[in-house]
Amino acid sequence: MIQLFHVTKEYPGEPPALSDVTLQVGKGEFVFLTGPSGAGKSTLLRLTFCAEAPSSGQLLLFGRNVARISPREIPWVRRHIGVVFQDFKLLPERTIGENVALPLEVRSLPRREIRRKVQGLLRSVGLEHRADKFPPSLSGGEQQRVAVARALAADPALLLADEPTGNLDTERTLEVMELLAAANARGTTVIIATHDRSLLQRYTRRVVALERGRLVSDGDSIRQAGGL
Amino acid sequence: MMRRPVEAFRRAFTAMARSPYLTLTGTATIYVALLSMGLVAAALGAGERLLHAWAGEVKLSVYLAPGADLAQTGSAVAALAPGRSVESIPSAEGLRRLAQGLGEEGRLLDGVGPDAIPDCVEVAVPGIGLDQARALSSQLRSLPGVADVDYGTAWLERLDTILRRARAAGLALLVGLGLATAVLVSNTLRLAVYARREEIEIMKLVGATNAFVAAPFLLEGALQGVLSGGLAAGTLLALQAALLPRLTALLGPLAALPPGAGLALALPLGLVAGGAAIGLLASGLSILRFLRRA
Ligand SMILES: Nc1ncnc2c1ncn2[C@@H]1O[C@H](COP(=O)(O)OP(=O)(O)O)[C@@H](O)[C@H]1O
Ligand SMILES: [Mg+2]
Repeated sequence: MIQLFHVTKEYPGEPPALSDVTLQVGKGEFVFLTGPSGAGKSTLLRLTFCAEAPSSGQLLLFGRNVARISPREIPWVRRHIGVVFQDFKLLPERTIGENVALPLEVRSLPRREIRRKVQGLLRSVGLEHRADKFPPSLSGGEQQRVAVARALAADPALLLADEPTGNLDTERTLEVMELLAAANARGTTVIIATHDRSLLQRYTRRVVALERGRLVSDGDSIRQAGGL
Repeated sequence: MMRRPVEAFRRAFTAMARSPYLTLTGTATIYVALLSMGLVAAALGAGERLLHAWAGEVKLSVYLAPGADLAQTGSAVAALAPGRSVESIPSAEGLRRLAQGLGEEGRLLDGVGPDAIPDCVEVAVPGIGLDQARALSSQLRSLPGVADVDYGTAWLERLDTILRRARAAGLALLVGLGLATAVLVSNTLRLAVYARREEIEIMKLVGATNAFVAAPFLLEGALQGVLSGGLAAGTLLALQAALLPRLTALLGPLAALPPGAGLALALPLGLVAGGAAIGLLASGLSILRFLRRA
């Protein structure tokens, strides 16, 4: 699904944000991307949803070399990817329902189908009664569940989450993690960037660790936790 | 580019309602520009029609060769210029008119015999263009029994040049004004785009194409332009209703305004279309500049 070969990303005047990273993530995997702040986790995710291009090395996405994807094609690639951020990135002037509907509107689905899908999505994150509320009136945990519902709205093959629980307390964190795990159980490939070690201890999954832009370890979280 | 235009309209209206100040600024700017453009166009049109009305005096004079038959040539001329008023003037009558035209000096002609002036057929050609006048006179010249055709060359040439120059200058002025307005308004609309950068960023994140993102902005610009065009046309029509009677009264003794001296239907329509074009151009400039960077 995703293959990186010697990928380096540099910003002018700074040490490389990613340095010679070689990594593969297969279909249906659930991967934690971890490492201290500034390790390059967000950078790796941004490369993966084509917000930026690698400085060198190759990145294959769904079997395609991203260097060969033209700007006009990026929207169609993005339609296979859902993204969740630490700060939710919901539109405050649109209702919860409208926020979740956005990926579907972008695909020009019929209005009735959008309404039906949004209802189902909100139900799956336990917020069907909030459809007409605006994001600022919701708690952080609820807003992140809305963001997850939006990311999953169009059944993406790949779900990327950048510190999705960074702003949440333990209980909300578990709720959001359950949603991501459920999506993975339905077949979506999931990559979660986090520096929260307690998450790794709770879930036995593959863990890819970065440090100063370099890949320092790749294994399952039991072994990782033992070595920490 | 958009499979659901209704949806784009909905998004455009929502966006306009959300930032009424920007909408108002854009509309007002285009309105002022269109109003000045409309005034220029109206002035040009009126001037042109006035000149054409004066050019209505223009006549082609067909002079006959000695011994040619006046009645026969007259009907031949009429056949070549259908729908024009044609008058046959025998030399005696021509002389009388000339004397009358000279007034006091007319007595100078007292000793002149009727044969000094050839028989003549006059064709009234109001509003004729220079090319038409040339073509018609060369046709007339080739008629049997015709010695010469005089089509008031200098007069027509001058009028034609004036009209052509005025039209070119006016057109250049209108286009320049339109472009300047589009650039001005695009700077205002850039603020609208900037205010919605978060929304644009998120839409692109969930897979929106540039066309999908741009469509409501373009529509918004076009709607503002159409609105401004309608307002400008309304203003001009109101101005006309208030001013035209007075203008006619003022000009009355000098030159009665020709019928249809008011605004042609093309003007309001042109203003609305021009407004839409300016709005579209302005919003296109602002959103495309933004999307290229994103
Ligand atoms: N747009 C950018 N411009 C310049 N430097 C950047 C940019 N994005 C990230 N960096 C740098 O790249 C490094 C890795 O950042 P990031 O990927 O955000 O790390 P993480 O998400 O692991 O905290 C940091 O040193 C950061 O300062
Ligand atoms: Mg980060």
